[in-house]
Amino acid sequence: MDINGKYTFNAQPEQVWGVMLNPENLRDALPGCDRLAEQAPGQYEAVMKIGIAAVKGTYKGKVEIADAEEPVHYTLRGEGSGAPGFMKGSAVIELQKSDTGTDVVYKGTMEVGGLVAGVGQRMISGVVKMMLKQFFQNMSKKMPQQTN
Amino acid sequence: MKPSKFEYNAPTSLQEAVEILENNEEAKALAGGQSLIPMMNFRLAQPGALVDLNNIPGLDYIREEDGSLVIGGLTRIREVETSELVRAKCPILSEATGFIGHLPNRNRGTVGGSVAHADPSAELPTVLTALDAQIRTFGASGEKSFQPQEFFLSYLTTPLESSDLVTEIRVPLPATHAKGAFMEISRRRGDFAIVAVAVLLEIDENNVCTNARISLGGVSDTPLRVEEAEELLEGETLTEELLRKASAFSAEIADPESDYHATAEYRRNMAQVYTLRTLKKALGMEEEGSK
Repeated sequence: MDINGKYTFNAQPEQVWGVMLNPENLRDALPGCDRLAEQAPGQYEAVMKIGIAAVKGTYKGKVEIADAEEPVHYTLRGEGSGAPGFMKGSAVIELQKSDTGTDVVYKGTMEVGGLVAGVGQRMISGVVKMMLKQFFQNMSKKMPQQTN
Repeated sequence: MKPSKFEYNAPTSLQEAVEILENNEEAKALAGGQSLIPMMNFRLAQPGALVDLNNIPGLDYIREEDGSLVIGGLTRIREVETSELVRAKCPILSEATGFIGHLPNRNRGTVGGSVAHADPSAELPTVLTALDAQIRTFGASGEKSFQPQEFFLSYLTTPLESSDLVTEIRVPLPATHAKGAFMEISRRRGDFAIVAVAVLLEIDENNVCTNARISLGGVSDTPLRVEEAEELLEGETLTEELLRKASAFSAEIADPESDYHATAEYRRNMAQVYTLRTLKKALGMEEEGSK
């Protein structure tokens, strides 16, 4: 499925870059992320608990930050698998300066397979949207407060 | 498949159930089990403990009280479906329950369980949203009550805390002359609805619509009331043309997902088609070209 969208932060692109690519912030902001450990520059091992209500699963996998051009764009790739199934996705993320700060524009795709995809199919895009919303809301709390 | 290991508790009072749920974060309430147990068998849900509510007396009832239909949380869907009282006083509720799964699911499944599960494609959340029913809960922090818009927050997501249980639904009785209908489209009878529509209309002696409620299921992460359509119809005599205009709002407000049963475009289209069909069915208007 396609995952496209935009989120605007009230901060400058360089600041947004710094905050978003910091592994500790990533771990805090990613909903359900229990562990994000750097294995090599830009490559992380991840453990995430994903789900809603009673339907939860632990997914272990990798996250990679590639083709990074500070503070303009980077590619984010991830894959993980767990008892409920597997997921694999990638997105190109662009930071664009705007009047109110920085627009983070993301364009990507995601594949979900296994049990959760079969039984929970109609909820997956909805859950992904919810997680993205939480992620950006969590990140915006970490952005430096703008002073005039 | 088999569920993963879990502890089993069978409290005999509401208080006891709430205490177990409050003290054990891994615990999940079990009512009819028609949503929970299949998920556990697939291991999509792996609660460490179950709190079986089925031995708690006094939670299954259907009665009329002060202009409302009052239904206990543990009432089986089948009871609601076959109840003479419900059929007489709130026929749209009888109609909606007939679409829930298959007969064995309705024999075990409960009203409280379905509401707490909060599936946006499910019949009860959709019809209770049209009826503007009150949802009452009881838990460690006492009694609470919610209107549907405050309760159905997103997929399977409600304001219920870990020890909160849905103990009662209060449905304000529609006016005796109210007209209503419930329709849904699914791949096979008994499947989850691709789109579901619940309609309730009050028409006065001058043939003017004084109250319109239209609720959609399966088109968003919660049931949706089509308020713009409701506003269009209220205060007017309902002609076919007006109903068509109103149905177009369903396509506008719908924000469905695609999956392999139906694309988002198809669901959006069906929201409009089925809103019109359900409105016409409620009013007893002939539908050309359909059975």
